[in-house]
Amino acid sequence: MGQFRNVVVIEKNYLIQAGLEAIISELPGMVFQKACMGSEKNLAHLLIKQNPDVVIVNPFSLDQPVAVFLNTLNEHISPLIFGLMDKSAPENMKSPFANLLFFSDNKLEIQKKIRNVCEPVSDEQDKKQVLSKREATILKEVVLGLTNQEIADKLFLSVHTVTTHRKNINKKLGIKTVSGLTVYALMNQLVSMDEMENKG
Amino acid sequence: MLIDQKMKMADVVLHDPTLVPVINRFGIHLGFGDQTIEEICKTHGLHVQFFVITLNAFHDKLYFPTEQLQSFKASLLIDYLQKAHRYFLEDKTPEIADLIERTLREDDVNKTTYGLIKKFFNEYREEFAKHIEREDQIIFPYVLKLEKALEAGTAEEQLLHKIQTHPIVEYEAEHEDVEAKIFDLKNIIIRYLPTPNNDALWYQILREIFTLEKELAEHARIEDLILIPKVEAMEKAIKGGN
Ligand SMILES: [Fe+2]
Ligand SMILES: [Fe+2]
Repeated sequence: MGQFRNVVVIEKNYLIQAGLEAIISELPGMVFQKACMGSEKNLAHLLIKQNPDVVIVNPFSLDQPVAVFLNTLNEHISPLIFGLMDKSAPENMKSPFANLLFFSDNKLEIQKKIRNVCEPVSDEQDKKQVLSKREATILKEVVLGLTNQEIADKLFLSVHTVTTHRKNINKKLGIKTVSGLTVYALMNQLVSMDEMENKG
Repeated sequence: MLIDQKMKMADVVLHDPTLVPVINRFGIHLGFGDQTIEEICKTHGLHVQFFVITLNAFHDKLYFPTEQLQSFKASLLIDYLQKAHRYFLEDKTPEIADLIERTLREDDVNKTTYGLIKKFFNEYREEFAKHIEREDQIIFPYVLKLEKALEAGTAEEQLLHKIQTHPIVEYEAEHEDVEAKIFDLKNIIIRYLPTPNNDALWYQILREIFTLEKELAEHARIEDLILIPKVEAMEKAIKGGN
């Protein structure tokens, strides 16, 4: 298993939270990032900022409709999502989720379910951590202070494509902020000091 | 482990030495002897529950204080947070800046890169100082006013207006930017640093950054999990009472 994966659990029952943390922490490369109670204000917003790789959510812990919550998440980030609930939960609670964990699952079942979904992606993702030519070009423009819209116009791309590239850049480099990216770009001569000084 | 007031202070610190700066902030210093937390609080005139909640919030990232929040005054909390602010601004970040400065003095080959890291860290310091200033000068005075109004049983028009227009909620989700920069700094050093000629120095810098990150996360947690809910309750009480 190559890349580390950050896991967020949303569950108001503390015992279950802590139990999942223990079970997840036994898996290679899985990092328990955060536990939420579900009743936090701006929960979806909070998660979008954290950008976890895996979200395990008990829809009954949320104080908003699960569909609304999932839609908000999916608009901005694309984590693997597991529903967490009782096996006897009504179908309309299960159906929004492609993956389900049940309270009655034993430890191995839970670990297997999580590994099944997580592993295939990580292997191919693992191979290339180097920036592609296009990503390097976009990185340079970002560092020079262009907005996504301006980059899109300049390179004849859609804003959506630029956003996707930027996400990939952040993931590959492990750097999130523009100032951090600037340090990287200067260190690797993707942009020169002169260019930086002459920007806008 | 949950910390409670019957425990010996020495045992607690043996269990988690990173609590030392937190304890210092309360004016308690090493050399606890055999005293329990309760006894130490008594001799120092400290609010026991508040002290224990703070230790727990620092010690366990999953700790979530549910009750007890109303048992101590907001001014206590603010006093603590301001002390922490001074610790960050006057001790912790200058320490790291000095260490980075030292790498520049000691290494001629990598001067350009280290200079970039120095610049990055200085930008971070400025931004962080701004965050703290906003809390010290706008948010904390607001909270103290709320507390006064509650004690007096009456609130001025201006304060009522502020509760409506700028409630404390707006202040949440403000910590991510500060945290993101620290995250980047760690990554830049760990992944992309050109081979340094003083390994020990960079290890020290890295350790300090990790410590700062942990302390900041805990600080933010106290603000987000203890201060804000408490202030929200105060805002509600004032609105309801008027
Ligand atoms: Fe603060
Ligand atoms: Fe803060």
